Amino acid sequence: MAANAAAAPARSGSRADLLLRAGLPVTLLLVGLFFSFSAPSFLAPANIESVLVNNFALLAIISIAMTMAVASGGIDLSVGTALDFASLVFVSAIATGQNFYVALFGGLLAGSMAGLFNAFLIVGLGITPFLATLGTLFIGRSVQQLTTGGGIPIYLSKSKVAPESVFLGHGDLLGIATPLWIVLLVASTLAVLLRSTVFGRHVTAIGVQSTVAWYSGLPVRRNLVLVYILAAAISAIAGILLSSTVNAYVPSTGNAFLLNAIGATFIGTTIDRSGRPNILGTVLGVLLLAMVSNGLLLVGWNFYWQQVGTGALIFLVLVVTFASRRWRKVS
Amino acid sequence: MADPKSELALSMRDLVKDFGGVRALAGASFELRPGEIHGLVGQNGAGKSTLIKILAGIYQPDEGRIELNGRDVHHLTPHGVGQLGIQFIHQDRLLVPTFTVGEAVFLGREATFGGLLARRRMERQARDLLHEQFGITLPKGALIGELTTAQQQLVQIVRALSNEPRILVFDEPTAALVKREVDRLFANIERLRRQGITIIYISHYLQEIERLCDRVTVLRNGKNVGTVQPRTTPIREIAQMMVARDIDDMFPKRRVPLGQPVLEVSRLQQARHLNDVSLQLRAGEIIGMTGLLGSGVKELVRILFGLSRPDSGTIEIDGRAVALGRPSTAVERRLALVPEDRRGQGVALDASIRENITLTSLQRYLRGGLVSRRAEEAEANRLINELGIHPPHPDTNVRDLSGGNQQKVVIAKWLARQCSVYILDEPTLGVDIGAKVEIYRLIGELVAGGAAVILVSTDLDELNGIADRILVFYRGTIVKELRGGEASSDALLAWSTGAAEAA
Amino acid sequence: MSTLPLQPSSAEPEHDQAAPHRWATLVLQAGSLLAFAAVLIFFSATAPFFLSFFNFTNVIAQSAILAILAFGMTIVIIGGGANVVTGGIDLSVAANLGLSAAVYASLIQAGHGDSTAVAATLLTGLLIGGANAFAVVIVGILPLLATLAVMNVAAGLELVLTENTVVPASSSFLMAINDAGPLGIPNLAYIVIIVAIIVTAIVQYSALGLRLYAVGEHREAARAAGLPVQRYIVGTYLASGLFAAIAAILSVAYLSGSSTGSAELLLGVVVTSLLGVVFSRRLVPTITGSLLAALFIGFLSNGFQLLNISSYWVSGVQGALILVVVAVTSILRRKET
Repeated sequence: MAANAAAAPARSGSRADLLLRAGLPVTLLLVGLFFSFSAPSFLAPANIESVLVNNFALLAIISIAMTMAVASGGIDLSVGTALDFASLVFVSAIATGQNFYVALFGGLLAGSMAGLFNAFLIVGLGITPFLATLGTLFIGRSVQQLTTGGGIPIYLSKSKVAPESVFLGHGDLLGIATPLWIVLLVASTLAVLLRSTVFGRHVTAIGVQSTVAWYSGLPVRRNLVLVYILAAAISAIAGILLSSTVNAYVPSTGNAFLLNAIGATFIGTTIDRSGRPNILGTVLGVLLLAMVSNGLLLVGWNFYWQQVGTGALIFLVLVVTFASRRWRKVS
Repeated sequence: MADPKSELALSMRDLVKDFGGVRALAGASFELRPGEIHGLVGQNGAGKSTLIKILAGIYQPDEGRIELNGRDVHHLTPHGVGQLGIQFIHQDRLLVPTFTVGEAVFLGREATFGGLLARRRMERQARDLLHEQFGITLPKGALIGELTTAQQQLVQIVRALSNEPRILVFDEPTAALVKREVDRLFANIERLRRQGITIIYISHYLQEIERLCDRVTVLRNGKNVGTVQPRTTPIREIAQMMVARDIDDMFPKRRVPLGQPVLEVSRLQQARHLNDVSLQLRAGEIIGMTGLLGSGVKELVRILFGLSRPDSGTIEIDGRAVALGRPSTAVERRLALVPEDRRGQGVALDASIRENITLTSLQRYLRGGLVSRRAEEAEANRLINELGIHPPHPDTNVRDLSGGNQQKVVIAKWLARQCSVYILDEPTLGVDIGAKVEIYRLIGELVAGGAAVILVSTDLDELNGIADRILVFYRGTIVKELRGGEASSDALLAWSTGAAEAA
Repeated sequence: MSTLPLQPSSAEPEHDQAAPHRWATLVLQAGSLLAFAAVLIFFSATAPFFLSFFNFTNVIAQSAILAILAFGMTIVIIGGGANVVTGGIDLSVAANLGLSAAVYASLIQAGHGDSTAVAATLLTGLLIGGANAFAVVIVGILPLLATLAVMNVAAGLELVLTENTVVPASSSFLMAINDAGPLGIPNLAYIVIIVAIIVTAIVQYSALGLRLYAVGEHREAARAAGLPVQRYIVGTYLASGLFAAIAAILSVAYLSGSSTGSAELLLGVVVTSLLGVVFSRRLVPTITGSLLAALFIGFLSNGFQLLNISSYWVSGVQGALILVVVAVTSILRRKET
């Protein structure tokens, strides 16, 4: 179980423990300070908005989906597939002249189907989540290639784009861009769901030690089905948002988010007392990744060096986290 | 004990070992004469395993001296110990399941030919050794994972013997064996001794010590309280040395009047495991259940809790049938299970005491649709106080608790749900004596509060001490019902092995 | 305590039913070999060109890169244990190939000789492997996470080096690799066969290999046998890095330069190593199993091409293949208990 193994037991309140948990917020602060000094435009409102909308929003939503799967002791490698499916159906529906809400519903449903398929494989057939969702990813790729004649994007002409779509992708509310409202909505809903509902607590228990959940009579199988459908549905939201932003469906784009989503989820576990996946931590992890890639761009690193920079950063955070856990265990 | 030092095969003196402020060994000593079978007993936490791990080179002692054949040895390492002629038969069989017998026996000292493994030679040598030592022949090409537990143990002994040890250490070797296999193991150990091998035998079971050992050393609180000859010392006396308290006080007798039937099991049938089992449990009653491996007791527990589905038969709680085969429905009907594998199935080790206690009763703490942390904490604190869980902090990780306190957390988890039938599967296995007494007290309080209890156990004193009646299982059926407090060891043994029926 | 001479039944005899296990395994193994054979027969019957010597050897050559990457992955899985989440896995192999290939091609471009390029490429592969080993063994990061992070860094470095373009490279050495050898069989095919034989000898038939299995499958048993467990695991990641570098050289030769899409190979490598398990009697990852699996996938895509079935099916079929194999194994295992 990923969550389980990642979560070394934490003694409450020890100083080293606090230090570790403060690691992510402090890193965020330091990175922020560094870039605001080295790149004056870093703190400019326009830049902040661009960071949040372009680098942060989509990854945050996908990472929240990933967090749900990891919290239940599994993983979902097919979050990108759900995103793609949602985007495909949404854009196709709009392109064929469907009403926005029909397209929206169809997209969310199509994305969720990937989750239903995962749930069938994991709960029904007993395949481990890693392999099951890997299989879904592969099959999803074929499905997209077959339905798009080998990966030809579908573009929406200006005239076809629904005003609701424009609002989703490019609008704002109270001066704050719509995508950010959506992230806020998804994050707060899921945070409450995971922390403070019976369902969320059961999911956490399954992630910590599934046999105990089973021997305590919790509805383990039903909860896991819900988790994978939920993860896919959340990814589908990201798919709709992406399509609304670029007014197109580009096959197999979702997978580009996969690795960063896993990275953000595990970076996020560092702020939890017991090292468990949690929504706030994940969102902060995504923020860190977004800030670093934007900051590196502003200080003049090209796109390629940004990849190296963010990759090295994730690596570093993991090293520090796990090294201090190991050190704490020994002492 | 006037033996000169040089005649000792092994002497460990005044060993001290601290683990982060906890003293595991406080000046323990252990002396082994050549050619004897020497038992080592003590409760959990007495320092047995620390002592053995020091001998195995896994821990280094903080103080103390170790001599082998009169020569000082410093800084033992797991690898070096083998070269000094000491071999271990570990409790959990340390064999790779996908290896052949030959590969398992010779791992680390493989026979090679021209740089490649001489597989056939290793298989042949392993087979020869097994045949020579134990007169058995395993199926050709069998993998370790395909062998029975007892066969795996023999492979491990052969692996140890192939290193030509002078001292062989058996760590709880019978834990997973059935009676017949235990007898055979003992005969084999006797024979090894006749071959001149000195043996250290660690066990919880004093009967085994009495049967097998020439001398036994008793550890308590990190010190040795004495070395005696078990053949001339009554078992009760040895037990007394281990616990330093009168074991007659252990069972707080508490009989409560029986109420309505709460659980009715009729005609349960499951291929190979259970044959026509019926029973009735009343409020306030404690039924003891016992039986050997394969007797069907464990399967009955699994069926009752919905972990396994019977072929036919019904279960009723409070007069209404229970949907079979799902733990969640069993729990809905206020059935509770305290499983034998506490750390694997009973408590979530990396969750806090609070989270464990409230796991099955979260609906109770909902305030406005959300789980209220404050309500949870109030309930956790109440149960922590009531059960005396130590440390009394709801946010402590359960991993950091002692076995007895972990078991209390499991019971608290079900108390929070106010269950009506509690199934306790070996609830005192591996907990120390103080916690044992508290668990018995708790069971007494459960029935006093109107609940009913099924106690699955192989501990005779426990069954006699607290059960109202004892059901003995043999080959899938209940062969005998005995009254609690009146069951003799002989009777239980006779019925559970089928000897009584045959007679 | 004065316990009954009854034994607590703490450990249920999990392995008492030896016969059904072996039977199930045999069925699975025979089934997969049959499936392999059936695929070959089906394609030879429907695609006339399929069975030709030229096509056959060509498929082997085309599978060389995948197979050699899979060897590295297989070694990591053997040494780390087969649990997909906590066990050994090296997600950085494909990115490592991309980076190493970029190093090779860039050095040739810059006018260096083949020997310098080979040395630098192997060093690059080993460095990436070393980073994985450090993160997994010294720091104790889950292999899945550690190698994911390293993969990101390697992919980034490749981009820096190539600016996301194909770096062409040609040299006599590269041409020799890509040539046809004796009997008209491509040298690539010879290379993969020779590498497979050497690695099989080490992993499947030497004491080192046996110990590696012990380390992966039962770490405690390996420790008790006095094996330096950590060193073995470090070795697996270094080996994986080395194989990625070797595959990179072959890839540069095959494509006459570095390629930008090497990350795409990763999932195929994972599938190959996992699929290989069903070709072994003990249901463990093996080098021969991985070779068979790589060839199986190679023949499958080749057959599709010849039959003019769209290549879009390939990844779906691979995905379905993992699911079927894993589902069948897990159902067979469940039946036993």
